[in-house]
Amino acid sequence: MKFSSSGYLVREGLKNIWSNRMMSLASVIVLVSCLIITGAAILLSVNVTNLISNIGDDNQINVYLDYDLSDIDSIKLGSQIKKVKNVDECDYYSKDEAIKEYEDKLGDVYPFMQGDDNPLVNAYKVRLKDLSEYKSTIAEIKNIKGVASVSDRGDIARTLTKLNYFVAIVGFWVVLVLGIVTLFIISNTIKMTMYSRRFEISIMKSVGATNAFVRIPFIIEAMTIGLIAGIISSVVLISIYNPIRETAGHTINLIGSSTIPLDDLWFRIVMGLSGAGILIGALGGFISITRYLRKEGGEILGW
Amino acid sequence: MIHLKNISKIYSNGTEALKNITLDIEPGEFVFIVGPSGAGKSTFLKLLIHEEKATFGRIRVNGYDLMKIKNRKVPYLRRTMGIVFQDFRLIEKMNVFDNIAFAMRAIGTPERAIRKRVSFVISAVGLTGKEKSRPSELSGGEQQRVSLARALVNNPEIIIADEPTGNIDPKMSFEIMKRLVDINKKGTTVIVVTHEHELVKEFGGRIIIINGGEIQRDERIPAKIHEQENEDENEGSGDNS
Repeated sequence: MKFSSSGYLVREGLKNIWSNRMMSLASVIVLVSCLIITGAAILLSVNVTNLISNIGDDNQINVYLDYDLSDIDSIKLGSQIKKVKNVDECDYYSKDEAIKEYEDKLGDVYPFMQGDDNPLVNAYKVRLKDLSEYKSTIAEIKNIKGVASVSDRGDIARTLTKLNYFVAIVGFWVVLVLGIVTLFIISNTIKMTMYSRRFEISIMKSVGATNAFVRIPFIIEAMTIGLIAGIISSVVLISIYNPIRETAGHTINLIGSSTIPLDDLWFRIVMGLSGAGILIGALGGFISITRYLRKEGGEILGW
Repeated sequence: MIHLKNISKIYSNGTEALKNITLDIEPGEFVFIVGPSGAGKSTFLKLLIHEEKATFGRIRVNGYDLMKIKNRKVPYLRRTMGIVFQDFRLIEKMNVFDNIAFAMRAIGTPERAIRKRVSFVISAVGLTGKEKSRPSELSGGEQQRVSLARALVNNPEIIIADEPTGNIDPKMSFEIMKRLVDINKKGTTVIVVTHEHELVKEFGGRIIIINGGEIQRDERIPAKIHEQENEDENEGSGDNS
């Protein structure tokens, strides 16, 4: 292919989209849905991974004491916790402080919830030296008399890991199925264009156009459809990312601080989705035009 | 230029379209391929443009061995030919200029060269002033002239015309044939497939009659039109004298 032809081939590809606009629109819609679902699954997975890693990095655990344990006994118990080998810091967190914190958080609702007694327990916020000894340290603290329970954030990490795995598996199958559907739709769009232009293809072949030359406008058409879909789905995901992030942050405190800000992601979202759209488009276009040229596309006189 | 030796074509359904054909067509010849429907004429053309491959034998066209030619070389073989179709095969959404230019664009010719060459070919087939017309605005004869211009525009060594007069009236048929003869006089080999015997007798030349997949006759007959033209010229010179 000569460089001088590139402008002509690109123009032809773009013209194809317009002359076959209904099918092009259908392809864009299907591809946008596919890319939004794919993008959402990836964003969810990336955020959950980030969350898990944050939890892993956060080596703080809460040690809750027995409800009946007096304030003085509770303070004394701190020295026993500090004796545990892997404990770095150990801060007392009284039930009065805890209830005050709830009061601040709940605001006007709090007075309606108040009973006669504080239902919370005294606790310690404990930081560990070495996370690899997480389990044995927790077991040791649990053995101390007066300790009721220990908040095991490893459980949350494990749950999130399971969730991440689930998202990855479900996401993979959803993306695979939608990818095949999209490929099918795009290749059918290109097939429709080819059908409407079969006359031109036969003339091109009769005057000695190479297969590459015949193919390029159709592949450009499919890639443009993919690019348009990529951009639309990026815009949709970018515009819904922050509201969803904020809502999730309000709902679960833990999430708010661990999600990745949009500033760090938007460029990757645009590039990733546009690239995926172009790639799917190119593949769908290439498959259908190659198959066509191998069969009917070779006919000139017998057309 | 075109050499066929013991060529046979058997289709996958068992139909033997051509049987042991041997013939040579030399540069600058004007050849009629004549025969009834199903005689094997179309198969013969399909072999020349490599739309089909012969089952047996040897076939060389414009230096290409068509029994061994690689797929990627076929477009270059076809660039040495121009094809005129019975149904014109013009693209309705394109005007006359673009229909002709399309053949050049399809092989990657630069726009400047296209503008120059297309204008020249349009005037050569007598369509000056019709550049912006759509095919549907033209008569059958004019449409076939556009098709002829498109076949000529890439300067081929061979023009293959498949029933070029099949869809036009006798007067226009005569004009198209005259143009093909003119093209031939400038050195281009012309192969015309037709079943119109009258037209063949009128223009004469080398006539290959194919029937049942075999060459029945391969002969040269004089053109009536030339005799008529000579008579007219003689009469004209007589008047002058």
